[in-house]
Amino acid sequence: MNAVALHRSPWGRVRDRLACALIVVGITLPATAFAQALNMINGDVTQKVALSDLHAMSDTTFTLYDPYQGRDVEMQGVEFRTFLIEQFGEVPPALHFTAWDDYEVTLEGWDDPNWYLISSEDGDPLTIRTRGPVRLVERDYNNQGNGDRDVENLREFNDWIWMIRSIEAKW
Amino acid sequence: MTSKTRPVAQPTVRPRPLARQHRYFTWLSLSLMSFLALMVLIVYESRWVYPEIQGYFSQTGSLTGQQLSTRARVYLQNAQSELLSDQAEQDALDAATLDIDLAYGLTDVHIYRREYTCAEPSLKELDRLAALFVTRGIDRVAAAMALFAPIQCLTYIEMNQLDRRGAAINDFSESTRQHSQVLTYSSLLIFVMGLAFWWLHERQLKRTDRATQETFEWIKRAMRDPLTGIGNRSALHHDVLAQQHQSLGLILVDIDFFKQYNDAYGHPQGDTLLRQLATLIGETLNDEAQLYRLGGDEFAALLHCPNTDTLKRYCRQLIEGLREAGFAHPAHPDQKGVTLSVGGSCFVADEATFPNAYEAADKALYRVKAMGRDGWQVTEDA
Repeated sequence: MNAVALHRSPWGRVRDRLACALIVVGITLPATAFAQALNMINGDVTQKVALSDLHAMSDTTFTLYDPYQGRDVEMQGVEFRTFLIEQFGEVPPALHFTAWDDYEVTLEGWDDPNWYLISSEDGDPLTIRTRGPVRLVERDYNNQGNGDRDVENLREFNDWIWMIRSIEAKW
Repeated sequence: MTSKTRPVAQPTVRPRPLARQHRYFTWLSLSLMSFLALMVLIVYESRWVYPEIQGYFSQTGSLTGQQLSTRARVYLQNAQSELLSDQAEQDALDAATLDIDLAYGLTDVHIYRREYTCAEPSLKELDRLAALFVTRGIDRVAAAMALFAPIQCLTYIEMNQLDRRGAAINDFSESTRQHSQVLTYSSLLIFVMGLAFWWLHERQLKRTDRATQETFEWIKRAMRDPLTGIGNRSALHHDVLAQQHQSLGLILVDIDFFKQYNDAYGHPQGDTLLRQLATLIGETLNDEAQLYRLGGDEFAALLHCPNTDTLKRYCRQLIEGLREAGFAHPAHPDQKGVTLSVGGSCFVADEATFPNAYEAADKALYRVKAMGRDGWQVTEDA
């Protein structure tokens, strides 16, 4: 580091701090602007679950190797089965997911305690940039009777649903 | 004259020697194991290929089948379109921001960061643009231009990943070809081995059958009198045991003065007389009796006998039939033709009762001889 850098003007420091703040705002703003709630659809009724409420009900924290990030991540969320029972009264036979990246899929077999709906990573709320605002993960993905999954092969984790925008019960 | 005597009963089949059975079982089991191995191999190979194919092609055509880099590039191109559209400034920036965020989320994966040096700078560039959108510190055209670098990076990743996927598919194809060859040659080898073992099994089976037939033939010969073609003493004993608990009649026949006949005519003529008598006895007793030559000039007949009256009738028929045949005997002391002494007894067939029945019939025979021969006697209670 050179001398010039050590003797920056006060205006320069203010400008740097402003830039940092803008970047932080820039990163967090999209989530606040576009993804404020998770839509839970049951027939004709659509209930919006605010992300703040979702954060509040996220009562489980666990550390998991995230193959997409290539490192251990502390995830915070709620057991998905319990969440479904709270929202729909019971676990629907199938669920239709819609994601912010226009991904849509209908899947069955959610009465499984291994699935977690996470909303925070390493203490920070998920955003679209971090494949949020909510994401479904398997808490123990190597104990599903399929043998160890190859964490280098991301196709084996395609069933982790990202950027969830709405969940519709299919009865 | 034609003989109507019934053939000697077939001996019961004896079990094969243990060693031969073992070898027979071994070829068969080896053959079956070969075909089983062939099936196992085919099933194994099928199970190997199917998951590989599914891994490569099951998601083709779906959104998850696309590369993350492809989807990210499309979002950035959408962002460019939004920025260059005619819509209001704020709407354009909001739409572009969402697209950039989505592209960021799809690009920010460990493997891209690790494998592609352009990934990190591209993500930083997206960060920078997003921040400038907030402060409106960049005009829309410049922002659209700035997205070209990340798009170029994503295109590079996309192409490289496609190359890798192509190489993986080529490897899989080559591996499948090798497996196919192994499967073909292994199947062929195992199939040929299975056929060879089966052929050995069949050959062994034929040998065993041939050996059994030879044994049967040998036993038949051993139980047959070679001169007359009727059964011998062993056959008599065997047949009695084969008809246990049945009411049978035993008739013993002795040619009177046969020694003198031989002395007069010679042994070849004596043999001829024996054959003729065997045929005559068979015809006289119709097909009811089984005939045996017990040795020398002694014959035996075994027949079903519900009572002694039936047995007496048979004995009478025998004497009368011989008289009608009128065989000449030039040396007969009583100047008669060939005459017979006949003794009989009825019994219920059993290993224990047969010696008694034989003794009773023999005593009856000797009573006839003592009374001057050429007659018959039946012992009532054997």
